[in-house]
Amino acid sequence: MRYIDRTRAWYNTLGYQPYRWPSYDDVPFATLKRSLADSKVALITTAAPVRDDVGDQGPGAAYNGSAKFFDVYSGSTADPFDVRISHLGYDRNHTTAEDTGTWFPIERLNDAVTAGRIAGLTERFHGAPTVRRQRSTTDDHAPEIARRCLEEGADVAILVPN
Amino acid sequence: MSLVAREIEAAGIPTVIIGAAKDIVETVGVPRFVFSDVPLGNSMGLPSDATSQAEVLEYGFRLLETAIGPRTTVQTPVRWPGDGHSWKRDIMNLNSLTQEAIDKARADFEHQKTLAAVNR
Repeated sequence: MRYIDRTRAWYNTLGYQPYRWPSYDDVPFATLKRSLADSKVALITTAAPVRDDVGDQGPGAAYNGSAKFFDVYSGSTADPFDVRISHLGYDRNHTTAEDTGTWFPIERLNDAVTAGRIAGLTERFHGAPTVRRQRSTTDDHAPEIARRCLEEGADVAILVPN
Repeated sequence: MSLVAREIEAAGIPTVIIGAAKDIVETVGVPRFVFSDVPLGNSMGLPSDATSQAEVLEYGFRLLETAIGPRTTVQTPVRWPGDGHSWKRDIMNLNSLTQEAIDKARADFEHQKTLAAVNR
């Protein structure tokens, strides 16, 4: 699936300038400091906290711009609140978003902790806003999420976009 | 999300993105990427299938353990139910799209932008 080509053609047809994804020559790389069995894992999501005041957020909701968020948020991994993806362009023709496990793997991560595959989760998971203005991500959201990961002693981070 | 992974990695924390939009993630350039060729919204595996989801997560763990450099992508064997690929035809499919449908899509898009702007 070539999403970039499809998206460009779609928005051209609608009369908009197509989104231009950034592309970097250099990619950072860090190595594991300890085994995963001794590592604390941070989970980063593009899902949004469910709100009472913004209408249908699924499962099966139509695109809901009111559920979109513009600031980094964090939630407890021990007692996570409900997060949904109605503000994102997932494939509504072929998936109903009934199972949060397909985009927010907190249960599977807890299974991995129980199995000893990883040492544990950071105290909080973190929500990354999905915004068109890339400077908001590079200058504000990404550094803030990195700061929170460092603050909580994350050894590795798992990021799940939708 | 790719930009967030890059920032966290640059801060010294190894990252892995688990997703379904291969061309987008690889265009940006990230350290590690676990790719499943499934409809968007199912990055972590098949719905109501804990075994599939655990398998996808394990690919993430293994990639964290084994990647020897950046831009390392692995593809999981997860296949979408049915023939595994016909869902791809329907994504932003412009074939046989009427002017009325285009106008509606544009109106919907503008309306949703207005709704989202309230949260800024």
